[in-house]
Amino acid sequence: MKMKKQLSMFFTVALAMSMIGCGGQKAETNTKQAAPTETSKTETPKPASEEKVKLRLMSLSTDENQIKILENYIKKNLAAELPNVEIEFEPGGGGEDYSNKLKTYNASGDLPDVWYSEAGFATAVISAGNQLDYTQYITDDSFIKNFAIPEALKFSDGKIYALSAGADTYFTPRIFYHKDIFEQNGVAIPKTFDEFMAACKTLKEKGIVPMSIMGKGGWAPQLYMVQTMIQSEDPQVALDLLQNKTDFTNPVVLKAVKKIETMAKEGVFPEGVANLDYGPSLELFTSKKTAMFGGFSWETANLSADPNIGMFMWPTSNTQYATEDVTQFWGSPLNGYAVNSNSKNVEMAVKLAEYCVSQEALFYAEQGSKLNLQTNVKVGEQSELMKENIRLYENTKLKIPTIFLNAMDAKTGTEFGTIGGNLLTGAYTAEQYVEDFNSIWQENTWFKK
Amino acid sequence: MEKHYRNKLSIFIFAFPGLLLFTIFTVYPILPQILISFQKHDGFNSSGWVGFDNYIKVLRSASFWRANGNTLIIVLISLLVALPLSLLLALAIDVQTPKTRNFFKFSSVFPAVLSVTVISQMWVAMYEPQWGLINSFLRSIGLEGWAHQWLTDKSTVVICITIAFLWQYIGLNALLFYTGIKSIPKQYYEAAMIDGANFFKASFFITIPLLTDVIKYVLILSVLGSMSLFAHVRVMTSGGPGDSSRTVIYQMYYTAFSTSEFGVGSAIAVLFIIECLFVTVLINKFTAKERIEF
Amino acid sequence: MRHKIGDYLIKIILFILGCSFLFPLFWMLNLSFKSKSEVYNNPFGLPQEWVFTNYGEALKTFDFLKYLNNSFIYTLSTALITIFLGSMLAYCVSRMEWRFADYAIVYLTMGLIIPAQVVVIPLYMIVNTFGLKGSRMSLILPYASFALSSCVLMLNAFFRGLPKELEEAASIDGCNVYQCFFQIILPIVKPALATQFVLIFMNTWNEFFLAFILAGKENLRPLPVGLLSFFTSIGVSHWGLIGAAMIMTSIPTVIVYCFGNKQIENSLTAGAVLK
Repeated sequence: MKMKKQLSMFFTVALAMSMIGCGGQKAETNTKQAAPTETSKTETPKPASEEKVKLRLMSLSTDENQIKILENYIKKNLAAELPNVEIEFEPGGGGEDYSNKLKTYNASGDLPDVWYSEAGFATAVISAGNQLDYTQYITDDSFIKNFAIPEALKFSDGKIYALSAGADTYFTPRIFYHKDIFEQNGVAIPKTFDEFMAACKTLKEKGIVPMSIMGKGGWAPQLYMVQTMIQSEDPQVALDLLQNKTDFTNPVVLKAVKKIETMAKEGVFPEGVANLDYGPSLELFTSKKTAMFGGFSWETANLSADPNIGMFMWPTSNTQYATEDVTQFWGSPLNGYAVNSNSKNVEMAVKLAEYCVSQEALFYAEQGSKLNLQTNVKVGEQSELMKENIRLYENTKLKIPTIFLNAMDAKTGTEFGTIGGNLLTGAYTAEQYVEDFNSIWQENTWFKK
Repeated sequence: MEKHYRNKLSIFIFAFPGLLLFTIFTVYPILPQILISFQKHDGFNSSGWVGFDNYIKVLRSASFWRANGNTLIIVLISLLVALPLSLLLALAIDVQTPKTRNFFKFSSVFPAVLSVTVISQMWVAMYEPQWGLINSFLRSIGLEGWAHQWLTDKSTVVICITIAFLWQYIGLNALLFYTGIKSIPKQYYEAAMIDGANFFKASFFITIPLLTDVIKYVLILSVLGSMSLFAHVRVMTSGGPGDSSRTVIYQMYYTAFSTSEFGVGSAIAVLFIIECLFVTVLINKFTAKERIEF
Repeated sequence: MRHKIGDYLIKIILFILGCSFLFPLFWMLNLSFKSKSEVYNNPFGLPQEWVFTNYGEALKTFDFLKYLNNSFIYTLSTALITIFLGSMLAYCVSRMEWRFADYAIVYLTMGLIIPAQVVVIPLYMIVNTFGLKGSRMSLILPYASFALSSCVLMLNAFFRGLPKELEEAASIDGCNVYQCFFQIILPIVKPALATQFVLIFMNTWNEFFLAFILAGKENLRPLPVGLLSFFTSIGVSHWGLIGAAMIMTSIPTVIVYCFGNKQIENSLTAGAVLK
């Protein structure tokens, strides 16, 4: 009897639930016509001055700098700067998750009003006609005048698809190191690649893992290591790759990749580096488990709290160029805040994007970074590490754009990482790499546009 | 009574709502997917029909076959090792004292209750080469030579992921078998015991034959579950190093989403659906036996 | 004698395995009391210095209650809809004289075969077409649809095990097919329904992929997706916080499981209905 009662309860609830289901549907179609709900607000063409416009904003939620910009700047100053905008934040994850999510939204016509765009997937959104060309908007409201070099915003087709404070063009590959570990073990800053390998050997003999990098998904080879090694052999080959004047069968590429193979085989990286994530790789370094960390200068501010941390540039094997002469720089005109061209409120979305990029600029400016977007922040006392970073950047004679961002379509770029990741296992030869990757490179569609 | 069971309206009322839901949200979405597999499609725009080009591309790619090989390994291990093991566990807990049984029953489903993310993350920590539990243990008992870079060595990575996956669900399968065993009427055993059968005989001649339906169900679930293994791979290795730990589903995900070749990815999806259909038919062939009515 | 030794051996093996299944709980708890740096020096041992602030810190950045609420709504609704529609369908397929019953089974098997990830983009468009976007139904209906197959197949196995006399007796008492199903058959297979409930609960509770794409909006997000954005937002390096978040998000499932476990057990012993 009791069982029966329970069961009938169970099904009454089930029935009720399924009816709520239908009711929910109906209710939603109704609200579209009448009720003053959130959705209808955004649909109203002219929002009254005190009525808030609701906009969806999506950004990377894995990048430490981006999180700080969102939490400490964009969210905090919103009420003061854009009082009639209400933001619905959507943390998008990072890396593959982020780009896959945006691709899905793009395919189904449900992009946010404003999002942080990245070169890896932006071309696809642009070709679908979903990413706004800012040119007219920011010229009309003269926001463009705040940029020191407005040309840097333009994509190869002459249009402006993303607003960026421009800190990323000052991001270059760096090796961070613990000064005390180097001193205690009698290791000096290497000036050539051979010296670098010798230093690693010394550290290794003393039981110290020389260097941590993020290896998962082939991140380090993809973002900088392959290119840096090519440049350390011959910078001209990197420039030629950017112009599609040579390919990966170039003997210089083989020599360069051979260096990564050697590093992996000689135990420069921690065991299991091919599966090492960014956070843990940095943690290994800050907790002094490794003597060096291979990353980008965007970690400078985060690492400058420890006066024992210094930085130097990847050493070269080329006699023509000294170690500090050549560098790769990050950044692409497609990185930055983008606006959905189908947004119900494009004007406000542009205002929001301008606001976001200004806040981004504030964040970097207060750290003492150099920027394209000018701010009136008075930079306080810069850390030693930041000063060193700026010195290195200004001394560099030849700055080469990132191949991964500026010469590869989505597929080529992804495989560039995957195949590069193989090198870190130490069980994959440079010859194999050249063979595998060059066939992908042949199908690269980047230069066909 | 009989007429009710043949009445078209009552059949309709019983079957239609479920089938409708299923059709709309599970079956129908395959159609657009099949159409896409014959197009050059980047997920945003189609640049026209390409016939069987995507399929040819898939069948020629080494990564696809490697992914198939990995999937086969996972399925075989789950079929030949994990399933018999969970059946044995179920038989074993059936004859334990209530205390042991309850403890085991409680703990066995535990890993399956926890999030895949949590479990995978834990196994990453177990396999970690420097401080991971497995290597630390091997070193502490003097088997340093056995310590290994489990997840970054191409020859061990698939097995390691499979172990994590099977470990998570072996207890659940055991409990499902146990539920089935529990529902077998006790008289059968009593009769057998009078005839002088021991535990093993009783298991093989009474329990297992009577469990056919449950075994078939668990079999299909775990074979198809291991075929479409994704989350563990995603969290533990992201398919790496290189492409060496990708499953077919991962290969599909990678092709469609990461390299933006939706046409090719859809072709993999369609091929995978065919593979799954084939496997299901195979299982049905092997397990089709006369049903035993109580 | 031989028997005794074997018994002990089995007991010990079961005990060790059982403990290994509980290990994740220990692991998470242990992590949650460790400081950021200790995890790397002492990953599995007890904390050398107990840190209790991880929980508070995790709670501050992690809207635990909102995600929890969403997860419960998704999971309960999915389980109820699936069991309601699934048991009817399974009954129809197994007991009614329907020409297409076998075809329906094969048709439903497709749901086991097709992983939800394969069809996420078409699914997303369908949800939009039905105007479900922005409502929780946009996730519940696909979940229920994908859960339906295994539910029907399993219940089918149970219904087939039932003696035909049940319905015959009922029809003599003047029950129609609906009364017979809801008042006689369903109470008998209650143990199977309970098992289904727990299985669906567990699957849905942990579903990640669809939720990530279909419920991207902040206020619709279930726990696992919330958990991921928490993991990634601290850069997957502060394991103490991750441990605390994992414990907090696991507690509800563990509690539900403890209750569900008892429930299944009770219904099984009470349900000598299979005669």
